[in-house]
Amino acid sequence: MTDTAGLALEATAVGRRFGARWKAPAWALRDCTFKLAAGRVCAVVGPNGAGKSTLLALAAGLLVPTEGTVTVLGTDPASARTRVGYVAQDKPLYPQLTVAETLRMGADLNPGRWDAATGERIVADGGLDPAARVRSLSGGQRTRVALALALAKRPELLLLDEPMADLDPLARHELMGVLMAQAAQHGTTIVMSSHVVAELEGSCDHLLLIGGGRVRLSGEIDDLLAAHVRVSGLAETSLDPHTVVEARTTGRQLTALVRPSGPLPESLRTSTPSLEELVLSYLRNPQAPGTTPAEHEKAAI
Amino acid sequence: MVEYRIDRRSGVATYVQIVQQTKQALRLGLLEPGDKLPTAREVVEATAINPNTVLKAYRELEREGLVEARRGLGTFVRRSLGTATPAESPLHGELDAWASKAREAGLDREDVAALFTAVLEKHFTDKHSLGDVS
Amino acid sequence: MTALAAPAALRAPSPRLSRWLLRLHRPALYVFTGLVLVLAAALLWLWGPLTDAAAEGWRQWNACGDHPRCSYDQDAILRYKKVYDVTTLAMFLLPFLVAAWAGGALTGGELENGTAELTWTQGVTPARWLAAKLALPAALVAVGTGLLVLLHHLMWSAGEGRIDTSKSWYDTLTFAVNGPGLVGLALAGLVVGALAGLVVRRALAALGVALAAMAALWFATLSALPYLWPAVTTTGDLDSGFAVDGLHVDYGLVTSTGRHIPVPVCNGRCEDVYTKLDAVGIYNDYHPRSHFWPLHLMEAGLLLALAALLTLLAFRLLTRRTATARHREEAAV
Repeated sequence: MTDTAGLALEATAVGRRFGARWKAPAWALRDCTFKLAAGRVCAVVGPNGAGKSTLLALAAGLLVPTEGTVTVLGTDPASARTRVGYVAQDKPLYPQLTVAETLRMGADLNPGRWDAATGERIVADGGLDPAARVRSLSGGQRTRVALALALAKRPELLLLDEPMADLDPLARHELMGVLMAQAAQHGTTIVMSSHVVAELEGSCDHLLLIGGGRVRLSGEIDDLLAAHVRVSGLAETSLDPHTVVEARTTGRQLTALVRPSGPLPESLRTSTPSLEELVLSYLRNPQAPGTTPAEHEKAAI
Repeated sequence: MVEYRIDRRSGVATYVQIVQQTKQALRLGLLEPGDKLPTAREVVEATAINPNTVLKAYRELEREGLVEARRGLGTFVRRSLGTATPAESPLHGELDAWASKAREAGLDREDVAALFTAVLEKHFTDKHSLGDVS
Repeated sequence: MTALAAPAALRAPSPRLSRWLLRLHRPALYVFTGLVLVLAAALLWLWGPLTDAAAEGWRQWNACGDHPRCSYDQDAILRYKKVYDVTTLAMFLLPFLVAAWAGGALTGGELENGTAELTWTQGVTPARWLAAKLALPAALVAVGTGLLVLLHHLMWSAGEGRIDTSKSWYDTLTFAVNGPGLVGLALAGLVVGALAGLVVRRALAALGVALAAMAALWFATLSALPYLWPAVTTTGDLDSGFAVDGLHVDYGLVTSTGRHIPVPVCNGRCEDVYTKLDAVGIYNDYHPRSHFWPLHLMEAGLLLALAALLTLLAFRLLTRRTATARHREEAAV
């Protein structure tokens, strides 16, 4: 995990500021540090406006960081351009082209990399008429064409900004299946953002939780879940010295999500949190200490 | 061929669901030695779950000696869970009769399930096959 | 433009962008080609039949002398004038049309709806994208306006001296479309529009900004034009007039020491004022007919230089905003 060769994406102290320098500049992303090993399916989760889109655009080379460095597939984002697939949130496509023309354009724009069969299969599996104009497609069909464009260039890293937003449950399940099949067959690293955690549970094995432009949590989902415990017990129970992410008392009852730093008191009942519970606890408590390499380093100083 | 059905709300880890369903298929004779398990690609395309989860489940089945991965070919069943109880066996009949009795005694579904689980726990504690995985 | 995109071309087979540029902007291509063809046809019509008919009309008119009832082909004269005016105006507006399209559709629209980013995340670098977007339209615009300018000049020359009311070479609109300056203005319009689109990133707003910038550029060109080539100075005595046959730059009085001073305000008693100022003659700075080509070539050259500068600016803006492979050498190691 520590060698750069096995990393699909690495951010080191990345910040991105928007707005003119003389006006009040707004940081969309600040001090963002994380590593993502190749072959992972990573969920980028956070509330709207948390900086998810900015992070993906930085990785895709569509934006340059104001500070820090982004490393994609062992090189800079621009040099990795041909090996990275990206689908923007609103799935931009040329409305005047037909589905078939759109795929032909993809072939022309990606000489030497294009896998026509993959593109055609993804489109055909959705029952799309190749002669249909893009402007006549539904949201789910557009997403399918956009994914076909991104996948047929055989990316090693696939960046998807809110890929499932505005899709009905069936289309969502189908397209997630397409993505997982891609990951299974080619070992493609997938990074997808969403503000709906439930949508990603089960499909993703890595979590990057972003809030207020910063990385709150980063790591393997199994590890993160194992590191946290939901506890309940009597209100007077002391949770020291464990890290408390969220604690609530209702009458005499205490419920909390903690990151234990040793054995927990016997009197507490414990259970494993779900991913959604974990994420929500962190989002509800912006002050809760996160687990990111940067935070550790800062704490050490 | 088995088709996995993943219930995300069950609270059971996804890979455990795959392991359990594979074993279920072995017990019921739906899978026999030499049969090929679906590829990870096939499973994830249908279920939209993470490929690593499928691989983790298959590794677990392999560790238990139930399947073997053949490089470039796929994952194949090595042995069946032979103690399977066909629907018409005497054990099935006894359990069936017991369930009727329980019902007559006024137990509802949950009561029966709790009772059954408790007895299972008592008799099969050391054979809790997945307990040592996590 | 192509020089900037060259490094990327060395690594992999280059993406075929031009074909899709033509496909995506097919309506614009059709409109532009149609306009050029219609205008070319109008110019040919003017050059041949209309000029001949109007010249014949003027010959008839001049032959009339003082004869009170004289018949001449007035319709031919009016038709020539009308078609000439409309064609000239349409040609003059072409650079503005190009700028509006470049700002609204070529760059502004693509940045607004995200299709620019779509292309950049396919195998195309932003620099290459912009290079293709500028190179192909530039070639078409240069060829189209070049052809029209040539025809206009031939047509205008054919009428000179034969049609009494034909426009002088220094008439503002006629001058604008009668030489290579129009090609320069149209190419500058393309770059001005493309840059406006890159800066504003909204189709409609970029269209507006492009048109405003072009209006400013046109007025700047118009006011700079007389100074683009050394003017000819003629002097005469105080009785000679200030009228010249050419593009006027300046005029005034000449003192006995040879100093050039502006014409003073004199309410009917000019002689006294002139004497007071020690004025002995007048001068005129102007461009005679022979300065047509130097002026036009200078105008075209300056506009092309501006277009090149703005192109550079556009590339700088785009490469600074998006990731460019700065660490290529590092990565190669």
